[in-house]
Amino acid sequence: MANNLSASHSEEVTSTRRVIAASSVGTLIEWYDFYIFGSLAKIISEQFFPKDNPTAALLATLATFAAGFVVRPFGALFFGRLGDLIGRKYTFLVTLVIMGGSTFVIGLVPGYQTIGFWAPAIVFLLRLLQGLALGGEYGGAATYVAEHSPDHQRGYWTSFIQTTATFGLFVSLGVILIVRQSLGLEKFNDWGWRVPFLLSIFLVAISVFIRMKMSESPLFAKLKKEGKTSANPLAESFQKKDNLKMVLLALLGATAGQGVVWYTGQFYALSFLQNACNIEFVQSNIIISIALVIGTPFFVVFGALSDKIGRKWIMMVGMLIAVLTYKPIYQAMYDLGSVKKKVEIKEKTTVEHKAEVKGSDSLKTTITKKTFEDGTTYKEVKKEKFPTDPALKAALPKDKLKPDTKKETTLPQDIFYKMIGLVLIQVIYVTMVYGPIAAFLVELFPTRIRYTSMSLPYHIGNGVFGGLVPLISTRLVEATRPAADLPPADPLAGLMYPILIAAVCFVIGSLYISNKPVATDID
Amino acid sequence: MGIVWAAMGVGIIPLAIMRAMKEIAAKPSEENWIFWSIVLVVLMPIIAFSLITFGVFALKGEYEAID
Repeated sequence: MANNLSASHSEEVTSTRRVIAASSVGTLIEWYDFYIFGSLAKIISEQFFPKDNPTAALLATLATFAAGFVVRPFGALFFGRLGDLIGRKYTFLVTLVIMGGSTFVIGLVPGYQTIGFWAPAIVFLLRLLQGLALGGEYGGAATYVAEHSPDHQRGYWTSFIQTTATFGLFVSLGVILIVRQSLGLEKFNDWGWRVPFLLSIFLVAISVFIRMKMSESPLFAKLKKEGKTSANPLAESFQKKDNLKMVLLALLGATAGQGVVWYTGQFYALSFLQNACNIEFVQSNIIISIALVIGTPFFVVFGALSDKIGRKWIMMVGMLIAVLTYKPIYQAMYDLGSVKKKVEIKEKTTVEHKAEVKGSDSLKTTITKKTFEDGTTYKEVKKEKFPTDPALKAALPKDKLKPDTKKETTLPQDIFYKMIGLVLIQVIYVTMVYGPIAAFLVELFPTRIRYTSMSLPYHIGNGVFGGLVPLISTRLVEATRPAADLPPADPLAGLMYPILIAAVCFVIGSLYISNKPVATDID
Repeated sequence: MGIVWAAMGVGIIPLAIMRAMKEIAAKPSEENWIFWSIVLVVLMPIIAFSLITFGVFALKGEYEAID
């Protein structure tokens, strides 16, 4: 008898593990697909947008990147409804195929120089498809895993789904670094950047194969058998006061704050290292990657902890300490990374000038290399292109003569480790707010409308509030720039947006969220 | 507290519109238009609608029963 019970328990655990593995792999691939676009934002801006204004091109790319986030709530509504009508399994199979297909096609689209404005237009459309697919995927995977999990371990089991977003970002950075290092910078910038996009089709094929073998969620299958599924999940979710109030609470008290903490701790940290501190591309990506790898297990730690002490206060404490410590953390990152306050070893500074004539244009390149007392090295490549004919040069507007300057700082080992530590602290905050949130959302809504109801606040919070962090924060920093050719006066100005959102969310969440599950039909 | 959330939701509308008009008038560049379109069409309505509705629910005591 005891042997039978033990065998049945072991089968249950194996089956749950299989469910989690299959769901997580697919979700991870969707995040990977979604984030390679962001990780390659700079190259995409050069490939698909006009080159004459690099800042506008980068902002247009960020806007395209943001568009992917903005449509996520629509994907949540569309696929959430499908998931509550026809089932979780088939819905998130469809989202996976759409995501993989659009990512693959982005890797095939010719650049701006070949097809002109069609290039950004097609990329924009594909990005919208990616956003729609992701909007449908996450809610499905979280609901599916939660509906397979035992009541007392829901936080633990769903936390594996929560690791996929961070792990997807890590894999995207890793694949980009490996491809870039194996091909070399020139080939990577020319065509190699397409490889991470094209690779997606194989990953998706594997995941579709695995997911095809999965069965429907037991709770949904039972509901369907009993004929108790919702006839109109959208109306039931958002037109009924009792459910709408929970959707709003989930958004304003949890997911909006979670979204900004997530994107600040991982995406904005990378952007800050590269743009405010000018840390060299490979080194900045390695800093983030190592912090992500060390931090990822904490999703599971906080997910499991939430099963014991409740979800609410882990998320709230994560938000509060993020609000209180972002400024000092980013100040420390800036002080460690920026060369402004470092002492230069003047005798080691070299300046190299190159001049060449290309057709009717002259190209002047100045390479300055500096070494600092703490071991930091700095390289600045300034390229000036102007007509050889002095009359034509004089006729050109000033901004056309603006040199193209690329700055690269390489940190010594001790500062490199300190930087990893500072990013890791932010990743820990991410794990606190994000680890328990799937279980929290699932427990807020009843099974018949769970997919729809939890997907919308999640994707508005994570996708819109969080996804707009890079765009809004970059813009806030730019606003402090006294003149186009001068650096921003306040490199930390971008933090105002996540701090404000997380602070409001903390207050609302602390006052109104319950520390106990609200839905009664999850067990 | 409900009144605070609702007031924040209402207050954000003129604030965002005025700021957008001021910045676009000062520099009517493409990037300014893109940025403020996203803020005014996407972010501001979501914040305003959700805060106002949430505030009204809170005022009516809808969240008191949850704990």
